[in-house]
Amino acid sequence: MVAVSFACIAMGTACSPSPDKTGSGSGDQATKARRIAVIPKGTTHEFWKSIHAGALAAGRELGVEILWQGPIKEDDRNAQIDVVESFLAKKVDGIVIAPLDDKALARPLREASEAGIPVVVIDSNVAWDGRKSFIATDNYKGGTLCADALATKLGGKGKVAMLRYIEGSASTEERERGFLEAMANHPGIEIASSNQRGGATTASAVSASETLLGRFGDLQGVFCPNESVTFGMLRALQDSGKAGSIVLVGFDASPKLVEGLAKREIEALAIQDPVKMGELGVRRIVDVLEGRDVPARIDTGVTLVTADSMNEPANARLLDPDLSILDK
Amino acid sequence: MTSGSILRALRPCIGLAIVLTVFALHPQAEGFLSVYNFKIVANQTVIVGLAAIGATFIIVSGGIDLSVGSIIALSSVVCALVLRAEYGVTLAMVSAIFAGCVCGVINGLMITMLRIAPFVATLGMLGIARGAAKWISGEQKVDVPPAALESGGLQAWMSNRPDPEWLWFSPGVWTTILLALIAAYVLRRSVFGVHVTAIGSNEKTARLCGIRIERTKIAIYSIAGACAGLAGFMLCARLTVGNPTAALGIELDVIAAVVIGGASLAGGQGGVLGSMLGALMMAFLASGCKMTGSATYVQEILIGTIIVVAVSVDVLQRRRA
Repeated sequence: MVAVSFACIAMGTACSPSPDKTGSGSGDQATKARRIAVIPKGTTHEFWKSIHAGALAAGRELGVEILWQGPIKEDDRNAQIDVVESFLAKKVDGIVIAPLDDKALARPLREASEAGIPVVVIDSNVAWDGRKSFIATDNYKGGTLCADALATKLGGKGKVAMLRYIEGSASTEERERGFLEAMANHPGIEIASSNQRGGATTASAVSASETLLGRFGDLQGVFCPNESVTFGMLRALQDSGKAGSIVLVGFDASPKLVEGLAKREIEALAIQDPVKMGELGVRRIVDVLEGRDVPARIDTGVTLVTADSMNEPANARLLDPDLSILDK
Repeated sequence: MTSGSILRALRPCIGLAIVLTVFALHPQAEGFLSVYNFKIVANQTVIVGLAAIGATFIIVSGGIDLSVGSIIALSSVVCALVLRAEYGVTLAMVSAIFAGCVCGVINGLMITMLRIAPFVATLGMLGIARGAAKWISGEQKVDVPPAALESGGLQAWMSNRPDPEWLWFSPGVWTTILLALIAAYVLRRSVFGVHVTAIGSNEKTARLCGIRIERTKIAIYSIAGACAGLAGFMLCARLTVGNPTAALGIELDVIAAVVIGGASLAGGQGGVLGSMLGALMMAFLASGCKMTGSATYVQEILIGTIIVVAVSVDVLQRRRA
C-alpha cells in the first residue's frame, strides 16, 4: 500500500502541469520572479480559459509567475475559499480573483490583504472595499446595447420578451436591468414577458424557452442575458422553425452561438473580453506591487457583434480567442 | 489487539504520513509544512470531519448515509435564517443541529419502520433535504446580517485567527476534536457502541442476543443527522452565507474519509479517530495539490485512487486473516 500510494502521488504531482515559469528580465535574475495567484470560478468553461490565456500573456511580458488554480468543484464557494487560503499559506505576492460570492469571499480576501497580499477583483464584485481594483464588463451597459440593437432591428415597434438567467447572479441581473431600462426609451416596443427564468443548465433553458414561445405566439424579438439561456432559446427557436424570423439578441459566445450568428438565426451577440480581463488583472496587480496608482474600476468593454461584423479581425478575436498560450 | 487490527489502526496514520512527506519534499509546495497551513487545513477539515463522526457510527452498523451533503446545506440555511431573524448565534446553532437531527430521525424511521435499505432511504433524504433547503431559502442564498458576524460571534467559530490567540485552532476545530474523542469512547467502550458494532457484524445474531435493533438504528441515524447539522452551522460560519446548493456531493468525501480511516462498508469495523485521520489526510492532499499547482482533475483522480487502494488493502488483509 505504501509503495502504491507513494507512486500514485508522485505520479500525480509529476504529471501535473507545472506553473508557468517566465524568465524575468536579464537585470534581476538574482531576485526571484514575483508570483501572482489567479483564481477563477471554475476551470472548464471557455470563458475562464480565455482569462487564463490573458493572465499568462501578461505574466510572460512582465516577468511574473502565474499560479492558476480554480476550486475543485465548479461554483463551490467553500472550495474557492480553500484555494485562497492555500495561496495565503504559500505567501504569493498578489491575488487576482473572480469571486464566486460577493459575501462569502470577503473574509478570506480581507485576511489576504491584512497579510500584506494585495487583491485585484475581476469579473464579479465582492462586498469588501479593500480590493485594489475591480476589473469587469460593464454589464448594465451591455444590457442597454442589446435593447437598442433589438429595438433598431424591429424598427422601434413590436412585441418582445426577456428570458432571465438564475436568481442571485449579479452580472446577469445587471444586464437584465440595463435591457429593461433602455427598452423604456423605445415606447413602440411592448415587453410581453420579463419574469421567466431559464435556470442554471442548458436543458432547463430549452424547456423555459419552449414554454415562453408557446405562450406568446406573436413574439417578434427575444433577449437572453447569458450563454446557456441564449443557447436554450436558439435550440427552441430552431425546433419550432422560428429561428431567423424571431429576432434573437444574446450574450456571450460559444461555437454553437457563433454558428447561429453566421446563419443569421441570431441577430446579435454581446461579447465580453475575458482575455483582456485576465491580462489587465495581472498588469494592475503588478502596478500595485510596484507602487503605481491603479483605477478603482476598469471596464473591459462589451462589443455587439452581428453576422455582418463577425469577420472583422477585432471581433473574430473576441469570438474565437487565441488560447494557444495555454498549450505551451 | 490482534496484528490485523493494529495494522488497520495504523493504516490511516501511514497514509497521512505519506501525504505529508511527499508534499513536504515537493519543491513547489513552499509553506506546506508551515504552522499557518496546518491551521487552515485543520479548519478545512471541520465540515467533513464533523459529518464523518456520525457517518462512522452508521458505517460501523452496516448502513450508509447519502444524505449528509443535503442535510449540511439545509442546516446552513436554517442557521442563516435564524440569524436573519435576529435570534442570536446560540439559537442558530441549536436550530441547525435540530434540523439535522430531524432529518436523521426520519432516515432512521424509514429504515426501521418502512424497512427500506439505508442506501435507498438516505438517497430519498438526499433529494428531500436539498429540496427543503431550496424551499425555505426561497431558492436563494441567505446572507447572514453583518451584526451576527462580528459582534454576534458567528465568524469567530471558524476563524483562522481565533480570539483569544492562545486557542491556536478555531473553536470549530476544537469542537470537532472534542466530539471525536467522545464519540470514539462511546463507540469503543459504551454499551451503545458495542450494540452498534454488533448490528454491523451480524444483525441476526445481535437480535437474538436481545439488542433492540430498531431503537439503536434510529439513535445512530439521529446522531449522524445532528453531526451533519453541526457541520451545517460551521459551514454557515465559514461562508457567512446559508447556501442551499452548498456541500453538493460532500457525502462521498465523508464516506471516503471513513473508509480510508479503516472502516469496512460491510459493517462491524471502523473507528472515529481513524475517520478523522482519513478526513485530515484528504484535506492535506487537497491543500498540497493546490500548492504544487496541480490541476483540479489530478486531485480528483488521486483521491479516487487512494480510496480504491485503501479498500483493496482492507480486502487483502481480511483474506489473509
